[in-house]
Formats: sequence, C-alpha cells, structure tokens
Amino acid sequence: MSSALMSNAVMSGAGTIEVDGLTKRFGPVTAVDDLSFTVRPGHVTGFLGPNGAGKTTTMRIILGLAAPTSGRALVGGRRYDALIRPLREVGSLLDATALHGGRTAWMHLASVARSNGIARPRVTEVLRLTGLEAVANRRVKGFSLGMKQRLGIAAALLGDPPVLMFDEPVNGLDPEGVRWIRGFFRELATQGRTVLVSSHLMSEMALTADHLIIIGRGKLLADMPTAALISSSGRGDVLLRSPRAAELAGLLTAQGATVTRQDDGALAVAGLDAAAIGDLAAARGIALHALVPRQASLEDAYLDLTGESVDYRGEGTAPR
Amino acid sequence: MSQLTPVAAAGTPAARSASTPAPSLAIRALDLVASEWTKFRSVRSSFWSLLVAVVTPIGASALVAVAFANAPASAGPPPDPLLPEVLSLEYAVIAVSVMGVLAFSAEYSTGLIRTTFTAAPRRRAVLAAKAVILGAVTLAAGELVAFTSFFLVQAILAGHHQGVSLSRAGVPGAVLAAGILLCVCTMLGLALGSVIRHTAGGIAATIAVIVLPSILGLLPAPWNGRIGRFTLLDAARQVAALHPAANLFSPGLSLLVLLAWPAAALALAAVLITRRDI
Repeated sequence: MSSALMSNAVMSGAGTIEVDGLTKRFGPVTAVDDLSFTVRPGHVTGFLGPNGAGKTTTMRIILGLAAPTSGRALVGGRRYDALIRPLREVGSLLDATALHGGRTAWMHLASVARSNGIARPRVTEVLRLTGLEAVANRRVKGFSLGMKQRLGIAAALLGDPPVLMFDEPVNGLDPEGVRWIRGFFRELATQGRTVLVSSHLMSEMALTADHLIIIGRGKLLADMPTAALISSSGRGDVLLRSPRAAELAGLLTAQGATVTRQDDGALAVAGLDAAAIGDLAAARGIALHALVPRQASLEDAYLDLTGESVDYRGEGTAPR
Repeated sequence: MSQLTPVAAAGTPAARSASTPAPSLAIRALDLVASEWTKFRSVRSSFWSLLVAVVTPIGASALVAVAFANAPASAGPPPDPLLPEVLSLEYAVIAVSVMGVLAFSAEYSTGLIRTTFTAAPRRRAVLAAKAVILGAVTLAAGELVAFTSFFLVQAILAGHHQGVSLSRAGVPGAVLAAGILLCVCTMLGLALGSVIRHTAGGIAATIAVIVLPSILGLLPAPWNGRIGRFTLLDAARQVAALHPAANLFSPGLSLLVLLAWPAAALALAAVLITRRDI
C-alpha cells in the first residue's frame, strides 16, 4: 500500500472538477447562483472573485461539506461523499488556522493520514516537502500563519492526490513563502494534477494561474486563459502630464475621449491613442511633459468584470 | 524554498483506483477509529480530564464511606453499603461530560471539523469512531473507579461492621453497573457536543440533561418515584444499589433507562450530523 502511495499515479483524464448548475441559498441570500465550470488537469486554475463572491461556498460544496440547493459538483466524475479514500483523490486546504492548537504538527498530520490509511512515512515526507521538518514536534498553537498555511498544504498533499484545491493559500505567507507556493503549484500542475487556487487578489493570480475562473455575486463572469483575459480588456489608456492639463482635458473630451484626473494632476485618457493625443496637443501648441501608453492590467480586467472598480470619471455611477 | 523535489515520482498514468482495490469496510472503520485514537491521545486535555475523572471519585468515595460509617445508628435503616461508590462516581460526571462534548465542539470551534469531514465524508462513521474510542476509554476508567472505590469503601465500612464482600450475591453486578455511568455521560456529551457544536452550550446542555431531571426527586411521593425512575442519575443509583429502591424501576429496567439516554442522544446526533452544512 505504501509503495503505491510513493509512486504517484495521476489518474488519466479523471482528475477534473466539474461544477454543474450549482446554486446555494442561505435563506434569502443566494451565495452561488447557477454556477457551471470545469477545472482540468495540468493547469493552475485561479478561482477569483471579490470577498463574498461565493468562492469558499463553492469549494465547500465540492468537498461535500455543504449541500447545494440545486445542481451538483463532481470530482473525477463522482460526488465527493462517494469517494472511498477521499484524500487520495482530492487534497484541499480551506482554512489554515483550523487546527487544534495543542496538537503537534506531526500528530495532526498522523491523525489525518490514518483516517485514509496513509502510511506514516508519508507524513514525514510531506513535512519535508513543505519545509516543516524542524517544527514537526512543536504544538501548532505557536505556529505563524505562514507555518499553518504550509501545514495545511502538507495535509492536502498527504494522499498524493490528482486534484488539489486551496482557498486563499497565499494569505499570511511572507514574500519568500509566496514565491515558494507559486513554484509549488506550477510543479503540481506540471505533474499533470488539477490545481484550483482561490484568491481575491488578481495581482497574485496573474503570477500564479494560467487559467482563470472569475465569479462575482455567485455567478460565473469569466472562464478563460489568463492571457486571453488581459487582451480582451479594452481598458488600455494613456497617461499624460501637461502644464495646461485642464484646457487639454476639454479638447480631448470634445474628441470623444474619456479623461480622468489623477490625484497628482496627471490625466488618464481612454479612447484616443498616444499619437492622436500628441498631434492634438501639438496642433494647439500645448506642451506635454509626459505621454505614456498603458497596457490594461489583469487587475483592470478583473475590476471591469467584477464591477468593483471605483469610478473616478465623475459621472457618479458605477460601471454596473 | 528551493527544495522543490517532486511531490512523488510522476509519470505512471494508470488509474490508482484500478491498481489498488478499494479497502474493505472493516479496514476503513479501523482506520477511522485509529485516527480518532491518535487525536484523543495527542491533546493534553484528554489526559487531564481522565485523571480528574479517576482520582476525584476514588478520593470522594473514601470520604463518603467515612461519613457513612460514623453516621448515628439511630437515624433509620442502615444506608446501602454500595451507595458511597455511586455517589462518588457522580463527582466525575462533569469531567467526562466535558470530555465527550469537546470531542466535537473543539473541532467545530477551531474549524478542524472540515478537515475531519473532508477526510471522512461519511460523517456518521466519524461519530461512531469517536464513540468507540471515548466509550472504551471511559468504560475502562469507570470500572477502574467503581472497583477501586468498592474495595476502598468496604475496607472503611468493614471497620464498622457494615461492609459487604464482592462474593456476595448481586454485588459484582452492581459494581459493574456503577462503572458504566462515566461512559453513559461521555456518550451523552459526545452526542450533544455534535448537535450543539459549541463547547459552552454543549457542556451546559449535557449537565442540564443529567442533573436537572433529578430535581423531580423533590416532588412529593409518589410522583418523585414515578417520574424520578426515568432520570439518568436515579437509574444509575438503582442499578448500582445492593438494596434497590422500591419506588423506582427494577435494576434491569433501570439499566435500560440509563442506556436509553445516551442512545437517544446519539440517535439524534446521527440524524442531524449529515443534514447540516459545515
């Protein structure tokens, strides 16, 4: 049994997470609203949404911790509660602080491993993989949040599963830990595993995930490769500085551009490219001190989708 | 951290479930019980609760026996010589009830319950595994206390010619029956901890279920007996007595009453445990 554990066997084609028409209501609140998506092996898939978007609820339903109001979630084609040795099929980390403080890291992992018939040497191995060997026999109440995150990841790895799910795993990690975890997720995906990582931080996912599932208010907003999301955003703009900024802003607006005054007096211009702006300024004899085209960041694309961006344009309405 | 060694040797795309047959139900049950045993013995509170549950009643039984032995002989019929032991066991009720409640409530309050139920999605099996471990431990502790107290109490009473010997008819059964009280209260705590999911609430509810009905013993006769015979503590005294009270159920029926309380609570827990979100 233990040798089978050590030699990884990532199931061919079976390691998908399928969410199908999933709805979850808590009284009058609809936390997850007819959500459907599929997470495939070999990628780090980012599960993105603002706080309260329904990410954790969706993950809890996938893991059989919460019952959906309607719809279903399958892992490797089966409901989670039908899995015989679930930790060998799905590794998960929902809340790194969910530990009994009086237990040592080793004992915590040993109790989890035992429940799925996982041999003791694997406990030592996952402690080594997550860099916790030195603190294995310390009570976890003394652990920093970052150490608890590592311990949670160690627990997720116990069964050497083809599917891994992490809820906000980067919280509490120091920069070195963040870099470690990114590499770790990529490594897991490269091995052919399905890796679903939730976050409310777009900037983090831009660096970690190669595929994104974005939800807002429980609904699916986007399900596409990270690169495609960036290029789909029309939010590129031009930053300019000018001693006659106010006059120029009026001219640009008259040409159909959207002009946003920045805090430092610069103007962010959308709807005209840098050449057109430069020509316009030159024709009027207005000096430009800066003219910088800016690519839409993934953050912008995300904010567009989730409608959480604050509108500085002065029309007084949110984008949605 | 640079030790990004592979999580395991990749590259064997064979389906694991095909290569290793599903373990039998017995093996999975054993794994769950072993997992709960690891949890139980890896926190200090288990040890301290047990120590209190064992030492307190043994000490108390000696004190109660001394009081019995020195009671004025004119104060009515001689007290039941087995009573000090069961009265003292009641001093351990709170310690073991708390232990039972914490088995679930500590996991709910920390969130560890999610880890437990993702590792074992069949939640009733987790309830059963916890019941097996806590039941075995507290049954052993209860019998240890019952027999130790018995010999201690009888040694003290013997000095006043009131003691009974273990060889006397009815005595071994009564002492054994007294020993199950701790297990009964632990199971009640385990079940209510699972239902209520909060430590303070679970402890309050368990103590209330055990202690509050005893107030009915204050009702005027015959109602004190008619209702009191259904209470947990009166049933426990009845099964542990050498001279059972006439106004309560027979010791056999009282044993059923005693077991019915945790059985009902565990049944309720088993129904609710699969119905609620975590």
